[in-house]
Amino acid sequence: MQVKDCLVSAPGKTILHGEHAVVHGKVALAVSLNLRTYLKLKSSSNDKVCINLPNIDTFHYLVFAHFVTLNKPHWNKLCIDEAQRLDAELVRRLRDFVGVTNGNLNNGNTACLTFLYIYLSVFASGELPALTITVWSELPTGAGLGSSAAYSVCLAAALLCAAGTIPTSLREWDQTARWCQEDLEHINSWAFQGETIIHGNPSGVDNAVGTWGGMLRFLAGKIIPLSRVPLLRILLTNTKVPRSTKALVARVKDKINKFPSIMNPVLDSVDAISYTCEKVLTCEPITGEHYSILEELIDINQHHLNVMGVGHPALDTVCRVTLAKGLHSKLTGAGGGGCGITLLRPETDSSVVQNTMQDLKDCGFDCWETSIGGPGVQQHSPSSVKEEILEILEQY
Amino acid sequence: MQVKDCLVSAPGKTILHGEHAVVHGKVALAVSLNLRTYLKLKSSSNDKVCINLPNIDTFHCWDLSDLKQFIPYINGTKDEAQRLDAELVRRLRDFVGVTNGNLNNGNTACLTFLYIYLSVFASGELPALTITVWSELPTGAGLGSSAAYSVCLAAALLCAAGTIPTSLREWDQTARWCQEDLEHINSWAFQGETIIHGNPSGVDNAVGTWGGMLRFLAGKIIPLSRVPLLRILLTNTKVPRSTKALVARVKDKINKFPSIMNPVLDSVDAISYTCEKVLTCEPITGEHYSILEELIDINQHHLNVMGVGHPALDTVCRVTLAKGLHSKLTGAGGGGCGITLLRPETDSSVVQNTMQDLKDCGFDCWETSIGGPGVQQHSPSSVKEEILEILEQY
Repeated sequence: MQVKDCLVSAPGKTILHGEHAVVHGKVALAVSLNLRTYLKLKSSSNDKVCINLPNIDTFHYLVFAHFVTLNKPHWNKLCIDEAQRLDAELVRRLRDFVGVTNGNLNNGNTACLTFLYIYLSVFASGELPALTITVWSELPTGAGLGSSAAYSVCLAAALLCAAGTIPTSLREWDQTARWCQEDLEHINSWAFQGETIIHGNPSGVDNAVGTWGGMLRFLAGKIIPLSRVPLLRILLTNTKVPRSTKALVARVKDKINKFPSIMNPVLDSVDAISYTCEKVLTCEPITGEHYSILEELIDINQHHLNVMGVGHPALDTVCRVTLAKGLHSKLTGAGGGGCGITLLRPETDSSVVQNTMQDLKDCGFDCWETSIGGPGVQQHSPSSVKEEILEILEQY
Repeated sequence: MQVKDCLVSAPGKTILHGEHAVVHGKVALAVSLNLRTYLKLKSSSNDKVCINLPNIDTFHCWDLSDLKQFIPYINGTKDEAQRLDAELVRRLRDFVGVTNGNLNNGNTACLTFLYIYLSVFASGELPALTITVWSELPTGAGLGSSAAYSVCLAAALLCAAGTIPTSLREWDQTARWCQEDLEHINSWAFQGETIIHGNPSGVDNAVGTWGGMLRFLAGKIIPLSRVPLLRILLTNTKVPRSTKALVARVKDKINKFPSIMNPVLDSVDAISYTCEKVLTCEPITGEHYSILEELIDINQHHLNVMGVGHPALDTVCRVTLAKGLHSKLTGAGGGGCGITLLRPETDSSVVQNTMQDLKDCGFDCWETSIGGPGVQQHSPSSVKEEILEILEQY
C-alpha cells in the first residue's frame, strides 16, 4: 500500500511564567519554543517499517512478518476516530515486542514503542504500509523542553496524514501549512497518547503546545490556547546542571508547608504575574513599554522562584551575565539547574546577542538564539526546511 | 553649679525585617546595633558649656552668660517633655548660625545639644560642663547615629540634672535605668530627633533607649521581650542613595502592579511575624538559626522585587553566601548597608576571611551584634580603651 510522503515539524515547549506555582493551583503560561523537531515520512516498496532517529543513535527496522506475533484483534478494537484512551494491552504487547522491560527502558526503545503504537493504531483498519520515518530535532532531550512531545506530535501528524485520516494541508505553492482546528485536535489526541507511553502521566501541556503553538494558559488541568501572541525573540540557555524534577517539586511543597503564611502570597503573586503577562501579550501592537513590563515580570518571577527554593548558582550566573548586557532572564521549567530564557527586544543588536551568547558559552552553558510563540505542528515543502536539517533527513 | 559627671552609651539601630513594607502598613522588626555612641559629661569650673564631637570635627564653647538669654523662652515643666518647643528651636537656630543654607552635621548637633541642655536645666542655674562624644557608627548610613547621639544627650543631661538617678553603683560596670526613666530619656531623645530630622518615626530613639528588638507597626512601637544577642557582620557598601527616592520607587511599583506586589508585602509581614516568634524562643537552637537564614534570604528577594536592590548588595549576598553566610540589605537599600547573620559556632577564621572579602570589594565591614542593651551608664573601666582615650582628651 502506498501512502503519501510528508514532511512535518513541531515546536518544543517552554514555560514563560507559572512553573511550580501551577502545581499549587496557579495559572501557568506555556509557549512554543521555535527549536523544532522535523519528521520525514517516506513510502517504501519493501516489506519493512523503518525508523531513523539519528539524534539518539536509534535505527530500527521491523519486517511485517514479525507483526504476526502481535494479536491482531487487539489492534482492530481501536476506532481511529475515538483516539481518546490509551490501549494499555497494546502497549504491553508492544513493550514485549520491542524488548522494553523496566530494566532497559531508554530513549531508543521508548521512541520505537511510541512510533509502533501510533502506526499500528492509525493503520489498524487496513493494510499496513511499508514506510520509513526519519526524525531530526533541534531540541536537547531531557531538558524539560518538550522534545518527546514534539516527537509524538510529529508522529501523529505524519501518520494521520499518510493514512489520509487528515488531509495533506500543503498545497503546491505553499512553503508551510497548518491543519484546521478539528484535525489539530485529532493530532493532539494521538500525541497525548504518545506522551502517556513515554511519561506515564503527562499534563498534556507539552503536546498541546506542540500541536497549537503560540501560547497556552494552563490552570488546574485545563489547557486553553490563547489568541494570537507575538513572536518573541529569546535566548535559550541550558546550564546542563542535572536535576530531579520530582525532588524540586517536593522541595517547593515542603517549603510551602513549612512557611504557609510566607509562601502562599508568593504563589498568589506568581498567579498575578501570569495574568499580567497574558494581558500584555494579547495587546496589539506590542510596544517598547510592553517589553519593559515583560522584563520586570521576568525579574520578579525569577525572585519568586528563588524564594520557592528552585534556584541554582548556575541560573544566577545566567541572570547576572545577561543582565550585564541589559537583558532579563529567568529559569524555565523545574529549575535547580536546567534551562533559562532571556528576553530579547526586536531592536536588540545582533552583536549584543552574539556577545551574550558567547559569554554564556564561556560559562560552559549551551545557548541558542530562537523565539517563542511560533507555530505549532505544520507541514513543510522541502524548500522551507533549513538545508542542514534537510540533508540529515534525506540521508535515510 | 556642680553637676554629676557621667559616662553613657547608646546603640545604633538596624532593621532586621520589614523595611519598606512597613511604610505600607506591615510589621517591621527594628533591633539595636551594638556599634555604640559614647558620651562623657564632665562638670567644669569655668563659665562655659563646651561640646566636643571629634567624629564630625566639631568643637564649640559657649559662655553661660550668652545662654542665659534663652531661659525666659523655655516653656513647660521638665516632666512634660512631650512637645517640641518650636519657638526655642527657631531662636537657637539663629544663635547657632543655622540657616537653611548651611545646615550641616556640626550645626545640627550643637542645636540639638543646646535645646536639651537648656530645657533640662531651665528651672535652675545653668551649669558649666563639657560633653565629649565618640561614635562607632557611620553617619548618614541609616544606622541611627543621630538617635544614638540624642539618646546619649538626654540620658547624660537628665542624669547630670538629677532628674533621673545615677543608675551606676560603685561596683557596677554598666547599669540601666528603670522603665519610667527610660521613657523620660526616650521622650527627650525623640525631640532631639525631631530637631535633626523633622518628622522622625521614633523607632531609632526607641531602639537606642530600650535596645533589644522592637516591633514597629502603623506608628506603634512595641519593645519585645528578651531576644538573644545575634552575632552579625555589618557591611556598608558606601553606595549613596536617596531614601526618599527609594520609598517613592516602591510606592510606584505597588501602584503599577498591585496584584503582584501586595502579596509580596503580605509575605514580608509574615516574615517579620515568623522571625519574632523564633527569636522569642528559649533557647535558640541550630534549627532556629536555619530558619532565620531562610527568612533573610526570602526577604532579600522580596526587597529586590520591590525595586530597592543594588548590584553592590547582590555582591554582599554572593560573597557571604560563598562562605555559607546569609545576608540582606537593611534599611533603604539601593546601596547602603547589609547585615549578615553569623552563628554562635561560626569560626572566627571564616568571619575574618569574609570580612576581608567584603573589604576587598571596597566595602566597610564590622563584626558586631544585634539585640544588645539600649542606653546605659558606664564605669570608665567598662569602656574600650581606645574610646576612653578619645573621650579623655577633651
